[in-house]
Amino acid sequence: MDETRMTGTAGREAGGENDPRTGRAMDTVVRTRGLTRRFGSFTAVDGVSLDVGRGEIFGFLGANGAGKTTMIRMLCGLLMPSGGEATVAGFDVYRESEGIKRNIGYMSQRFSLYEDLTIEENIEFYGGIYGLKMDEIRVRRDALLEMLGLQAEARKLTRDLPLGFKQRLALGTALLHDPKIVFLDEPTSGVDPRVRRAFWDVIHEESKKGKTVFVSTHFMEEAEYCHRVSIMRDGKVIALGSPGELKREYGRSTIQDVFIEVASGRTAAGGGEARAGGSGDSAGPAGKGGEGS
Amino acid sequence: MRRIYFMMKKEFRQIFRDPPMVAIIFVMPVVQMLVLSFAITTEIKHVKLAVADLDNGVATRAITRAFANTDRFDVNIVTDDPAAVKEGMRSWDAQVGLVILPGFGRDLARGPAPQVNIVMDGVDGNAASVAMGYAAGILQDYAEKSAAGAPAGAAGRGAFPARMQERMWYNPDLDSKNYMVPGIVVVLLTILPMMLSAMSLVKEKEIGTLEQLQVTPLGRRELLAGKLTPFLILSFIELAIVTVVAVLAFGITMSGSYADLALAALVYLATTIGLGIFISTITGTQQQAMFVAWFFMMFMILMSGFFIPIENMPPFLRRLTLLNPMRYFLAVVRDLFQKGTPLSSLWKDMLPMGLYGLAIFASGVMKFRKRLG
Amino acid sequence: MNASMNRAASLARKELMHIMKDPRTLLIVFIMPLLQLVMFGYAFDMEIHMIPVGVIDRDNSTESRRLIETFRGSDLFRLSEAGAGSGDVEASFQSRKTRAVLVIPPGFGKDLARGPAADVQMIIDASDPNSAQLMKNYFGQVLAGFNESGGRGGAMPFDVRTSILYNPDLKSAFFFVPGIVAMIMVMICALLTSITVAREKETGTMEQLLVSPVRPREIIAGKVLPYVFLAFLDGTFILVVGILLFGVPFNGSLLLMVGLSTLYIITALSLGLMISTVARTQQVAIMMALTITMLPTIMLSGLVFPIESMPKPLQLFTYIVPARYFLQIIRGILLKGSALAHLWQPALSLLVMTSILLTVAVRRFGMKLER
Ligand SMILES: Nc1ncnc2c1ncn2[C@@H]1O[C@H](COP(=O)(O)OP(=O)(O)OP(=O)(O)O)[C@@H](O)[C@H]1O
Ligand SMILES: [Mg+2]
Repeated sequence: MDETRMTGTAGREAGGENDPRTGRAMDTVVRTRGLTRRFGSFTAVDGVSLDVGRGEIFGFLGANGAGKTTMIRMLCGLLMPSGGEATVAGFDVYRESEGIKRNIGYMSQRFSLYEDLTIEENIEFYGGIYGLKMDEIRVRRDALLEMLGLQAEARKLTRDLPLGFKQRLALGTALLHDPKIVFLDEPTSGVDPRVRRAFWDVIHEESKKGKTVFVSTHFMEEAEYCHRVSIMRDGKVIALGSPGELKREYGRSTIQDVFIEVASGRTAAGGGEARAGGSGDSAGPAGKGGEGS
Repeated sequence: MRRIYFMMKKEFRQIFRDPPMVAIIFVMPVVQMLVLSFAITTEIKHVKLAVADLDNGVATRAITRAFANTDRFDVNIVTDDPAAVKEGMRSWDAQVGLVILPGFGRDLARGPAPQVNIVMDGVDGNAASVAMGYAAGILQDYAEKSAAGAPAGAAGRGAFPARMQERMWYNPDLDSKNYMVPGIVVVLLTILPMMLSAMSLVKEKEIGTLEQLQVTPLGRRELLAGKLTPFLILSFIELAIVTVVAVLAFGITMSGSYADLALAALVYLATTIGLGIFISTITGTQQQAMFVAWFFMMFMILMSGFFIPIENMPPFLRRLTLLNPMRYFLAVVRDLFQKGTPLSSLWKDMLPMGLYGLAIFASGVMKFRKRLG
Repeated sequence: MNASMNRAASLARKELMHIMKDPRTLLIVFIMPLLQLVMFGYAFDMEIHMIPVGVIDRDNSTESRRLIETFRGSDLFRLSEAGAGSGDVEASFQSRKTRAVLVIPPGFGKDLARGPAADVQMIIDASDPNSAQLMKNYFGQVLAGFNESGGRGGAMPFDVRTSILYNPDLKSAFFFVPGIVAMIMVMICALLTSITVAREKETGTMEQLLVSPVRPREIIAGKVLPYVFLAFLDGTFILVVGILLFGVPFNGSLLLMVGLSTLYIITALSLGLMISTVARTQQVAIMMALTITMLPTIMLSGLVFPIESMPKPLQLFTYIVPARYFLQIIRGILLKGSALAHLWQPALSLLVMTSILLTVAVRRFGMKLER
């Protein structure tokens, strides 16, 4: 954990002092400090500090209602934070959401392509919205359809696709404009293991190309595919590190066991709570994973 | 610009893929036009008449015939029992009763002036007062005709009467269609753009695609432009369809210029589409949006002079109509159709309408926050 | 039976919660009819006052000035000098400065003395034919007064006495309160129910209900009862406001009123259910409900516009509009104190209609659900 914190601090300094516009000069592409969101008196995200680097696959674990979606929505510029700071691709979430939007892809927890458009119409639409040229759209559309094996069904209504294909289509659309960072909110919920495998192949591929991938999930074996995972509870990040580190730290053999222990707060009343308490303004458990890119 | 183009393309695709939607946009207005323009007549015709003729003489039968011969009244009950008139009213078989007492014919010939009793069902006050006017007119006619046959009586005192020649301009036959059909054009141009734009924006909210759009570089203005331009275009197609139906199927004459009509409509659509945006910002589901839109619509239609003339309203309500953008557009469209007034002379209506349009559209756009938070 | 009641009751409770959780819709459901009541109650006054009238006096004699004075003496008109040419008349109509122009031709005074009659011209802006007709009548009255005061022309050879029953002051609220009640019932029972069913279909909760042991009949009962309650509540509310604010009388039997209103509510509910068997989405449900229930209820029932004045084919169509019958019933009971003996025709029509609609709706709804 110490090691993690060290690198985290280094990363932050680099990020903090460098020109935020040229996010590439540094490695940190997402940086939050004490990020908080309240709904009325209820605090959905509570003082989260994170640094996520380029090319990293960063997993969000947490029980239902832990605050994962709220966190992602703030980072996407969909939701104003109630406090704390955050930059995404070097852009401030409060003031520069337009800049953020040019650099991210987002796949929401709900399926949100147009069911009454055909597959290719959906692709074309989102390509156009992201300002791609028509021939570019065509090239990428064909590549995407080929990857999904959906060439024959391109003119079918999206409504009529099986869920697995819908989700893969949504992922493909989120990646269509080649964003620096993608946020995937439970992309694999409800899809079969084979499709899930295909999903993660894509995610790894994109990460190798230097894309940062934020992914929330309830599947623990998926957590193992992440470079780093964070576990949230009641709006706080209570554990953070590479899957290996977490397993070692909690002395468990699978992330699932770690999760059950941490997220339910059964044993870790000491560890979990203490850590969470410290995550206010100090770097807390945040930091860059050693296994990063 | 390219983004707007893609947005519009998508919008058109969705609309034309949805058959009920196409029907709503293209068929319903025509149906509504047909139904409304026949249903909404401010004329009163075929009023059900009960005649209780207790005299049953030549004169009273002639009077009954005079009533039967117009299409204003349908003689529904003929009886010699005055109580039957009231019973007829209770069972909706009579709306007006004509009660003539015994001795009418005798008194008419010799004096004193005999009584004619008209009993009205006052439930529909408007119809009642109009029918009363008709009845008086018919009796007057009868009196004049019988006086012409027997030149004596009061008329021969040496002085001569002033007579009225009326000239009904713009609508010589007093055909209420000429007045109502342009009004229906306005009503349709209010309902459709407002409902469609509000519902389609709220729908994206409901199904979650709005959130997806919000993480794209598509700006708030581009989003609205791409989403609403199709409705603007459709509204104009709508206007064209209903105008063609009005002119060809109903024989309404367009005295003014079509270009003026289109220009005025453009100004007005800023208001209705702006209201649509506004409604979408204060509602979360299509059901709510529909209800709120309907609320606005009711207010606008009732307070526009569409079927309650503004000058008939009490002063307080009359002042309230000044807040209603539809009021101005209605006046403009009716004047364009019927009087052919050039738009330049209608600036008194165009100016407030334009200001409302600007204010409503601008505040709708402002309120349409791109962020959900 | 007991279990069945329980299931329906728990559905009804759920539905009631939905209704209560959406205060915006609820507010509109109560406020909108109130607004309509106030507007129709106050605004629908067919008298026009202070009609702006232009005068062109080409005679300028004592007689012509006396005629103008007679017009001025009536509070129906507001006189102003108009320009002399017919182009000026057109301009004053187009700018809506005047609604009518009185033209007294040269020689008017002489003609009055010499006979047989002296003509004056009344140019009326007839773009609104109804007002034009009224204006013409007013002018006729004023002219008759002028003739009579000058000892000219004949009075009626008989004495017309008019009496107005049921609504002697011709208050428009008397006419519209029952109509608004009829509209509310359709709005709540047909429009709201069809939308909620469509929404359950859209969100997939209907499927959830179907896999539970709830039977279609119970679903219908549970869905529908809260709206019946709401409809009665809202209808009573408007009725009470009408009675208190506008003095609308309640002359007939309360029992008859409640009984026949229930019949009407069931009709409206059946229509709502029918729509919901067809419409898969809220949008379609809304549009269908508006066109096939609300529009006919407002336009083709006699609520605003008299059926007798409509063209024949449209009149025939009104026979299948339930509100047509209900309006006769409710107006009859409230204003005329009609009894069932007077109202058996509309009541029977409504009963027949209700039984047909209800059977079809429940069948269809059950069938659709079971699939
Ligand atoms: N707009 C909102 N208003 C009020 N509370 C909200 C709102 N959005 C989210 N919440 C609350 O914030 C908490 C966190 O929600 P969030 O959706 O972020 O959880 P999550 O970790 O994504 O859960 P899940 O795994 O179920 O998706 C929840 O308790 C939720 O009820
Ligand atoms: Mg979530």
